[in-house]
Amino acid sequence: MMEQIAFYSMAGLAVVSALAVVTLRNTVHCALFLGLSLAGVAGIFGVLGADFLFASQILIYVGGIAVLMIFAVMLMGRASDLTLRQVNQEWLAALLVCAITAAGLLRGAKAYLGSVAAGAPAPSTKPLGRLMLGDYVLPFELISLVLTAALLGAIFFTRKETLPSGGGK
Amino acid sequence: MMIENVWLVPLLPLAASLVILFGGREREDSPMPFVGIAAMAASLYISLAVIFDAATGAAALPFEKEWLWYSFAANLGGQPSIFEMRAGVLIDGAAAVMLGVVCLVSLLVQIYSLGYMHGDRKFKRYFAYISFFTASMLGLVVSNNLIVVFACWELVGVSSYLLIGFWFEKEAPPYAAKKAFITTKLGDLGFFLALLLIFTYAGSYNLVRLKETVEMGYLPPMVLTLIGLGLLCGAAGKSAQAPLFIWLPDAMEGPTPVSALIHAATMVAAGIYLVARCYFFFLASPIAMETVAWAGLITAFLAGSMALVPYDIKRVLAFSTVSQLGFMMCALGVGGYTAGLFHLTTHAFFKALLFLGAGSVIHAVHTNDMRSMGGLSKRMPWTFLTMTVGCLALAGIPPFAGFFSKDQILEKVFEHSPVMFAVLVFTACLTAFYTFRMLFLTFWGDGRDHHRVDHAEESGAVMTVPLMILAALSLVSGWALEHGHAFASFVGSGGAAGHAAEAAGHAAAAGHAINPMVLAAGVTAGACFFIALAYSLYAGRDFSRAQRLKSLFQPVFDLLEKRYGFDAFFLGLVDLADRIAVLCRWVDIEVIDKVFVDGWGLLCRVAAEISHLFDALFVDQAVDGCGYVSRDIAGRGLRSLIARGQVQEYMLYLAVGVSLFAILK
Amino acid sequence: MTLAHYIALGAVLFVIGIFGALTRRSVIGILMSIELMFNAANINLAAFNRYLHPEGVAGQAFALFIMTVAAAEVVVGLALVLAIYRNWDKTYMENINLLKG
Repeated sequence: MMEQIAFYSMAGLAVVSALAVVTLRNTVHCALFLGLSLAGVAGIFGVLGADFLFASQILIYVGGIAVLMIFAVMLMGRASDLTLRQVNQEWLAALLVCAITAAGLLRGAKAYLGSVAAGAPAPSTKPLGRLMLGDYVLPFELISLVLTAALLGAIFFTRKETLPSGGGK
Repeated sequence: MMIENVWLVPLLPLAASLVILFGGREREDSPMPFVGIAAMAASLYISLAVIFDAATGAAALPFEKEWLWYSFAANLGGQPSIFEMRAGVLIDGAAAVMLGVVCLVSLLVQIYSLGYMHGDRKFKRYFAYISFFTASMLGLVVSNNLIVVFACWELVGVSSYLLIGFWFEKEAPPYAAKKAFITTKLGDLGFFLALLLIFTYAGSYNLVRLKETVEMGYLPPMVLTLIGLGLLCGAAGKSAQAPLFIWLPDAMEGPTPVSALIHAATMVAAGIYLVARCYFFFLASPIAMETVAWAGLITAFLAGSMALVPYDIKRVLAFSTVSQLGFMMCALGVGGYTAGLFHLTTHAFFKALLFLGAGSVIHAVHTNDMRSMGGLSKRMPWTFLTMTVGCLALAGIPPFAGFFSKDQILEKVFEHSPVMFAVLVFTACLTAFYTFRMLFLTFWGDGRDHHRVDHAEESGAVMTVPLMILAALSLVSGWALEHGHAFASFVGSGGAAGHAAEAAGHAAAAGHAINPMVLAAGVTAGACFFIALAYSLYAGRDFSRAQRLKSLFQPVFDLLEKRYGFDAFFLGLVDLADRIAVLCRWVDIEVIDKVFVDGWGLLCRVAAEISHLFDALFVDQAVDGCGYVSRDIAGRGLRSLIARGQVQEYMLYLAVGVSLFAILK
Repeated sequence: MTLAHYIALGAVLFVIGIFGALTRRSVIGILMSIELMFNAANINLAAFNRYLHPEGVAGQAFALFIMTVAAAEVVVGLALVLAIYRNWDKTYMENINLLKG
């Protein structure tokens, strides 16, 4: 029972906040709701018993990415944006496509209606650590390389004189 | 045991020739010739060691050693099997003797050439060719595989071509070189056909195995005869037997030491040696044997008579070589295996001597024409002395080498057929005559061309010392080798014992023999008589008797000077071929080119024009139309409709696709 | 709770993400939508791990990798967006149409 309450509340939080992210006009609000939605997902991880993922989600997404977004929004924001429509003209077509996709995906999910969890979830931090520095040590090191590259790329792109002036119409 | 290393004998000069050819720079004082001489000396050392070992019984002859050359899967007689081609060395008595002779003569010729070729622009190249020539001949001598023999045989031909045409900037040498090459090729055709027959019927090129096969009687007599005739044909080309001897007199255009090498050891000996090496084929075919004998006889007589008339000192020697080769061939043909090879050996010494002596004379007076010489005995004492020895040996005066070997041949021939014997004896007398005619014309009397003769000087030691060595050999080799039948037993020891026995049986069957003493005395007397005749005609200052004789026998002289018309005959053949070629060319150009090729071309062009018109009118327009439709009508419209540069629109198309996948499960 | 619930949740979040990515005009909005899609995938991975392979943690490990990649992606993406904004003064997608042929 507790599990169901937790699941539905967290799922509702995530879904409603996500809807707010894609529909609100004020981009700052969008960013804040993004943080909320990510927190909801973190809750789902908690319900699933993935304790380390839960912590990572809070730290990386809610604490890192969402905050980064807010900073970016604030750096680029203008007052005029608040009055403008934030959704383009193809929204109806997009909605149709999304509805079809959702119908297909949900139909696929039906296959797992009978699948229930076997026993209580075990703490996952220790096995994750063993896995990361054991079997997956090579991808682990690779991903650190990717992060370094991303860092360097970000620095490169945000230098002022790099992009040529002019360009788009 | 030196005999294990006998394969080095041909390879050392070969390596030397490559080193000389590619090493160093062409200079007049190039040190490269000494490489060739050193290699030759090493080969000579090995050869002499082999002969010594064999003579003392330390090494058993025949000695055979072979290596795998190549192999392939074959289907022999319906049985799948692996065919292995092996090549190696086979040394019997004859091969050992030949090795010694070739190495010795080549070594002396090379030393002599140091003096003779001094100052020539192509000094280094000359020695490379000489080494290569010798290497080819040595390879021919030692090989146990007829294919390798054939390859070396052709290499001998190539190197003789290079050497005869050595002074290719002049007019005559290239012509002579071509003549020699093409004429010998004519003979090689027979050799090649014989090789094909041999493999077809015997399935091997190994001489030892072939000998067994033949002696077991596996080959039909007709095939044996054909093989024998083919081999004879090759030998006739190489050894200048009638009617293919026409190249040898022209081969005099090469440097004189080369002539010495060709005549004594490397080239013409190859033919005789081939017949001796393949003697089992001839023994098995009486027809081939008889042909060999008659070919030799005819050659000996024709060439001997032709040697009577020329004034070119080298030409006299060239005809005498042909004649002596005829003697050897005849000896082989009547079963005188050892006699023929014996004469080959002694002849190598004194003919090399005579040629090198002639070279010395030519070097001194700068002409080949004996009419410009005379009285040289005082100016060139050493050359005169050694050449006299050579002439005595060639004329067959005891105790010089030629006497013994010629004597053996005549004995054998008499056992076979008195008619042939008579012709050969007459030829031997002619030999004495023309030899001494040459000697008297060159060295006796007064200098007829004072400008040349008075400036003649004796050649240096580098040229006279080889002459002396050869003179000594010409003096002693005859009786030394004859003594106690040393040569016969040595040559007979290596696989040829069968030949000797068979030849003996042959003689017994013929039923008549001649007393050797009578024969020797008679032939010597005849030779002496003809020498005296030559003296009376040519030794003095006045040639009126010779002139009278000449006018008396004018038609004969003319015939001899025209070389019995052989040259004219072959030139006529060439001329005929020329005419046929001209006709073919006319047909080719006027008929085939103009009608067929050009006509076909015209047809193709017309067809191409039509095709081009069709292409331009229909195909190209259709292609352009497609391009126009897709670019200007459909392209522009579609682009303005969907490709507006809006990334989200593109994503939407993507999403449509994804949604299709999501529902179409 | 069955696996289907989590998958359905993932599907809904994913579709919302798609919708956002297709319709938001501002570049930052699109980036946020993409984050939503990443999270939907992560939910699926964690759920599959829990329900189908509870003995291991490979699904969670992959979710972690995805988080890292997402972090890298958002860093580079925001850097690009900032660069575009600073150089061309543009934030709306319809104005950025360099791809137009």
